[in-house]
Amino acid sequence: MFKDLDPLLHAQLRLAVMSLLLSVESADFTFIREKTNSTAGNLSVQLDKLSEAGYISVEKTFKGKKPLTTCKVTKKGIKAFEEYVTALKQYIQK
Amino acid sequence: MKHEEETLTTQQSLAIITEMILNTKGNLKSNSIYFLLWGVVIALANLGMFALIMVDYPYPYIAWTAAFPAWLASFYIGYRQSKRERVMTHLDRVSIWMWVTFGVITFTLMAFGKLINYQLNPVILLVSAIPTLLSGIIIRFRPLIVGGILFWVAGIACFAVGGPWQFLIGAAAVTAGFIVPGVLLRSKKED
Repeated sequence: MFKDLDPLLHAQLRLAVMSLLLSVESADFTFIREKTNSTAGNLSVQLDKLSEAGYISVEKTFKGKKPLTTCKVTKKGIKAFEEYVTALKQYIQK
Repeated sequence: MKHEEETLTTQQSLAIITEMILNTKGNLKSNSIYFLLWGVVIALANLGMFALIMVDYPYPYIAWTAAFPAWLASFYIGYRQSKRERVMTHLDRVSIWMWVTFGVITFTLMAFGKLINYQLNPVILLVSAIPTLLSGIIIRFRPLIVGGILFWVAGIACFAVGGPWQFLIGAAAVTAGFIVPGVLLRSKKED
């Protein structure tokens, strides 16, 4: 019996964001956008989805006059990612 | 990156994960400025102390007051950098706290220097070996690793020779351990 892949993670951009955030302490919106090569609008929507699920925490502050969005993966997000990778492994070993 | 609702195959998923993780490698910023600043300050303080002892000046350790503006400069540079940084890796965090700990320890040693008869040089050189060597390992930069080892060697040498000569060893150690790697790091292109 195979585990279902978490639909929240099994999507290109959200998976990319989660993988990126897992390997750093924290990253800001521009950094994530550049590294994932995504558009600001799309990224913003996906970050909201991940944040609503509690997979990431999003902190909005100001850097001078510019708004600064800093994202960090949460414990829940790490657990979900680990489960996703475990499920992925089962599919590969099939 | 294309629209997110496309169905992913397991291979694509793995490719994304791998690519993103590789993307964050090499973000370790080279903080060569700190190595250069502290390298020069400590080297000059050591040489100053040696020179003042040689001319029988009663308070040779006054040379170390040079460290105070360097502290202020470090805080200022750190503040400026933190405003610029857009990402912080796990190793960046380890690195920052390692150097903060080192700073606190050396500061404590200096504050209580009198109790150990101002025999600070060998102790501080030995303690310097830890963050220098580990920084080299973290950013995979051999000159810093070598620098760390040289600090340890210099610490032993200071214990062995004692007297004013240990300040010359200190100046040489800090040149090899901070200044040289700092210059090399600066000339190296960021990964």
